[in-house]
Parts: sequence; C-alpha cells; structure tokens
Amino acid sequence: MKELPLLQVKEQEEVIIVSIVGGQMATKRLADLGLTSGTQIKILRKTLFGPLEIEAKGSRLVIGRGLAAKILVRPL
Amino acid sequence: MSKIEKLNVVLAGQANVGKSVIFNHLTGLHQHIGNWPGKTVEKAEGTLHYKGYTIDLLDLPGIYSLSTYSIEELVSREYIALQKPDFIINVVDATHLERNLIFTLQLLEMERPMVLALNMVNLLKGKGIEIDFKKLENILKIPVVPVAAIYGKGLTEVLGQGIDLTKKNLKPIPLKYGKEVEKQAEELTSLLEDIDLPHPKRWVAIKLLEKDEEIEKLVKNKRPEISERVKSLCSELERIHGQDSSIIIADERCNLVSWIAKEVMRIVKPRKVSFNERLDNLTCHKIWGYPMMISILGLVFLTIFLFGNWLSSLLAGMFSGWQIGFQSIFGGSLLSSLIWAGMESVFSLIGIALPYILPFYLLLFILEDWGYLARVAFLTDNLMHKLGIHGKACIPLILGFGCNVPACLSCRIMETRRERLITGFLVTLVPCSAVTVIIMGLVGKFVGIGWAFGLYFFAILMIFMMGKLASKILPGEPTELIMEMPDYKKPNLKTVILQTWFRLREFIYIAGPLVIISGIVIAGIHQGGWFPAIANFLSPITVKWLGLPAITGILLIFGILRKELILLMLAVLLGTTNFAQVLSQTQMIVLALVSMFYIPCVATIAALRKEFGWKRALSITVFKIIFAITIGGIASRLLNLI
Repeated sequence: MKELPLLQVKEQEEVIIVSIVGGQMATKRLADLGLTSGTQIKILRKTLFGPLEIEAKGSRLVIGRGLAAKILVRPL
Repeated sequence: MSKIEKLNVVLAGQANVGKSVIFNHLTGLHQHIGNWPGKTVEKAEGTLHYKGYTIDLLDLPGIYSLSTYSIEELVSREYIALQKPDFIINVVDATHLERNLIFTLQLLEMERPMVLALNMVNLLKGKGIEIDFKKLENILKIPVVPVAAIYGKGLTEVLGQGIDLTKKNLKPIPLKYGKEVEKQAEELTSLLEDIDLPHPKRWVAIKLLEKDEEIEKLVKNKRPEISERVKSLCSELERIHGQDSSIIIADERCNLVSWIAKEVMRIVKPRKVSFNERLDNLTCHKIWGYPMMISILGLVFLTIFLFGNWLSSLLAGMFSGWQIGFQSIFGGSLLSSLIWAGMESVFSLIGIALPYILPFYLLLFILEDWGYLARVAFLTDNLMHKLGIHGKACIPLILGFGCNVPACLSCRIMETRRERLITGFLVTLVPCSAVTVIIMGLVGKFVGIGWAFGLYFFAILMIFMMGKLASKILPGEPTELIMEMPDYKKPNLKTVILQTWFRLREFIYIAGPLVIISGIVIAGIHQGGWFPAIANFLSPITVKWLGLPAITGILLIFGILRKELILLMLAVLLGTTNFAQVLSQTQMIVLALVSMFYIPCVATIAALRKEFGWKRALSITVFKIIFAITIGGIASRLLNLI
C-alpha cells in the first residue's frame, strides 16, 4: 500500500498513521493526544489553505497544515 | 470538639473536560486567580468545607501530558511532586475517554492518592457510548466516580472517596508497560534508590527513558554515572523497537489506553448526524464559515460599541456632575484638585471597565463556552500563520479591539514564550475602543468615513508587517496548531459570569494603581503650570516633524493615561468641539494616526509588564513611540502632496 502525507487525504476518508516525520517535540505532542503510528484516523474536514480536522479515538482534533504534511498515512 | 483538618487537593485534567465547572461548583466565590510565582501561568485556588475538613483546592492548568512541552505542564508536575497534595482529582471527559486516559496514566505514575472523576456521563447516552465504571475501577485500581458537573452530580462522592483514600493513605500503583520497557525501568528504579529526589523513583526512571530534559539534568547533577547508564538503556530499547525511546514509551502508553478503552467501553448505536454536527458543517465550512464568522464577530462588536457608547456617555454625565459638587465643597486648592484627579482616574477606570470590558468578556466567554472560539481559531489559522503565529492567536487579537489590557493577558493561551511575546506585541497595535473614539470622532466626523476605515485598514496592514518582522527577528520556530475541537454545548451561565467577574477584577487590580498614580502626576504638572513648557519642549516633534499645533504635545501626554482623553482634551484646550475650525484635514489624520500607535496606554503597559516583565514592556513602549512619530511625519508629508 502506498504511503502519503495526511494533508493529501480526501475528506471523510479513513487512514492509518504509518509514521511521523517531524521533530521529537511534534511527535511527542501528537502522542500525548493519542496519535501514534498505527492509530486509525478519519479526516472530517479540510480548509482551503489552513488546518484540517480529524477524528481519532473518539475525539476531534485540529491539526495545522504544516504538521499534517509530516504525518505519513496509508489508506485503510 | 474535633480539630478541623486541612487537606490539599488538586484538580488535574486535560483542557475542556469541565475542570473549571467543577472548580466553580465546589468553591463558588471563595477562590482567587493569580499567577504561579515567577511564571505567567494561571493559578486558581479556592477553599471549601466538607465533613469537617477544610479543603484547599487548586485547579491545575488544563494540560495534555506531564512532559515539559509547555510551562503549564512543568509547573503542574513540579507542584504534584514537591507539594505532594493529599489527593488528586483527575477529571476525565467520559465522552472522550480514550484520549483522556493517556494523561490519567501519567498522573498515576506520580503516585499520589487519586480519584477519577468521570465527567459528562450525562452525555454518554446521546452519543451512544456505554462505559463499565466498575471494570475501569478494577483496571486502574483507583475509585472511579461518575460525575455530571453541570448539575453538580457526583461531586460530593468524589470528595468523600478522596478523603477516604487520604485516611488510608492509599497510593495508586502505576500500570505496567511492555516487557522491555518494564525491565529497563526496574533497573533504573533500583539505581535511583538511594538518590534524594522529591519525585517517585519509578516515574523518574520512565522520564529518563523518555529523555525528559529537566529530569535528565536533575539526575546528572546528582549522579553522573546514572546518566551514562540511561544512555545505553535507551539505545538498547531503540535497537529492539527501531524508534526513539521517547516515542516507544508514548506508543506503549497509547496501546495500553487503547486496550483499556476496548475493555470498558462499548459504542452501542451508530451515531446519527446530530444538530451540532450540522451546525459545524456550516460554521466550519471552507467558504461559508468565513462570512458566518464575520457576521457573528461583527454582531458582538456592534453590540459592545452600541452598549458601551450609551453607558459611557451616561457615566460621563454622572461623573461630571460630581465634579461641580466636589469643587463647590472643597474649593480649587492644589491638594483638592490632586485628590479630584485621583478620583477622576478611578471614574475613568470604571468608565472603561463597565461599558466596554464587562460586555466584552461576557460575550466572549459565552462564545468560548459555546465552543465557537475554537472554530474561529480553526478558520483563521492560515491567516495567523502569515504573522508567524497560529490560529489560537486570533482570540487575543480580537479582544484587542475592545481593550488591549485583557487582550495582553489572554496571550497565555499561546504555548511558547516566543508566540506569547509576538502576540502580545501585535495586540498593542490593535486599535482599541478608545482609539475608535478618536478615529470616528475626529477623522470619521470631519474628514470622511472612508478615511476612518482607511486608518483601520492601515492598522491591520501594520499588524501584518510587524508580525512578519517580529517572527523573523525573534529566535525559534513557529509552532503548529494542535488543539482539540470541542463539541458545541449550551454555555454554562454560572461559569461565564464567574469568569467575567474574575477577569474584571484582575483588570482593576492590574490597571488601577498605574492609572491613578499617573492621573495625579499629570494633574500635578497641570497645576504647576508646566504645560506650556512641555508643549514647547515637544514642539520640534509635534510642530516641525508632524506639522501639528504645539498643544498636541500636551494631548499626547494625557493620552498615555487614556487614549480618548486626546479628543476630550483637544476640545477643552481649544474651547470648541468643531475641530474643523482649528485643524486641517491632514492634521486630523496625522493626529489620529499618531494617537493610534504612539504608546500603549498605562493600563496596557501594566499588563505587558505583568506578562513579559519591565524590560520587554518598556522596549515595546519605546518602539511604538519611535514608530508612531516616524509614520506620522511621513504621512503628514505625503498627505500634503495630495
């Protein structure tokens, strides 16, 4: 299965996090919110140039565009 | 008579779990909000009495973990480790159990007696979630109490269970991670056995494996050889798992929580599209969300300005009546006029606080409690990134249009010091309601409404340019937006009113002393007859460079106190409110422009000092003076060409 950045996933699609190619800080921060590799997420909403809203583990999170580019996912 | 026992209790939990509702419910008006010593982190404390105990309740800031990502997180864990509260109330949002439990596991590792207050159980049914409370209790081995904080349900049981734990001194047992991690943690724990540390040893061991810098430093200072061992243990873990050891621990914690959630939680029915979700499809829509936002915020501003102008003229009429009364009783001596100046400052403070700041906070807290501010942050994140900050910064900037003081104080919602400073600086460039009085009363009335809006546009342009500049100059990387999107909910009136009241009180405390002192000083200068000398002294700037009449030097001194005084004093000193007779259109625009930027008012300086210290507050002040004079002079020359 091919991997792609979260940013490129379409609205309403469900994906699994493969890895996070960011600094330690960002990775830790995401982990504190329950986003680690293997986590299943659903893209709820995207803005034209801004952040996206996702659902993971039953809660909704907003993630900045730059960060979303660093989260690698694969389709479910 | 049995003696009254005192207990120290902390409320800990992630953001948006209803901690402040619980805190308000338990402590009511017996609370005060201050800062942690030496830190710009909010500290809310209150007292309550229950079953013969006096409980000092501390509301820790809403945080996501006990790592050292933000100042709040560091402050919280140091408090728990050093002060060893009698028990911890971990507030958890039952509708977001899985994410919340990540923090719960970290709290358990602090090894203090702990009760889990499972809040918002009243919303579970609507969301089709079932939780087995008993099973959760068995897994975590701490009391789990279902709570519906907005109705005050379950809170006394939380306290009762906590007191019970304290009596028996029952400390929780941290949950176990995977085999390799546990093995290493055990080895480290035994190595740490004889070091004198306030923190639980196992927690320190885990933090060392997580490569927590603060803890690393602490241990290295005491026992450098342990640090060496930590390095090799970490790399061993990394070899097995092929990942950084800090990520391994976080991963394992997530896995553990996923397992717990599977054990205790069941989704019983497929979720229907609720009204709130439909509302979100509209308010967060990639196109329609923006006109919606502008309408909602526009309505809020319009309400505040209409209400504010009405009440403020009402108050002004009342106070000026008092002045005549005061003078007829105490005469016009130096002392009595200084006393009057002090009283006038108090009135002027009330004249801002009641008509503008009070409704501003009230409406803003309603929007926040409803959940809308998070949507505003979501929608404006892209725009804010252009300023080197992220979406959450829109809240201080919006507040700034009402009054810069609360806006500066609300910069705390930004995570890092760098972002707080940039946001705080930009806030002081936002035209507040007092500046609006000048722009509308001078330029809007005598030059044209187009020019008035032009000035606003210019201010916003400057905010963008300065934001770009500041984020280039200040060291550090911009942080990305990561936040939780809260569900829309009915605003809780009690929370909103209490929040508003505490903020209003904070405003008076911070701004009050400086406003009163400077009011008296300026009156003293006036009584001493030094105004002409000051006007003269400033004339190279005011007359030569800015092309304004010499008396504007005096106005600008008054404006430091309150910006709308510039307009009021202009009328007094010139003896007319028809400013067109005495000022050319160019002069009006230049005066409004300079007033807009030339200095933060004393109250704002006080707020800046509180948040960023004297040095930064004064740097911003000096920068703004130079900036305004430069811009004003250039504008005066350009406008004369037209």
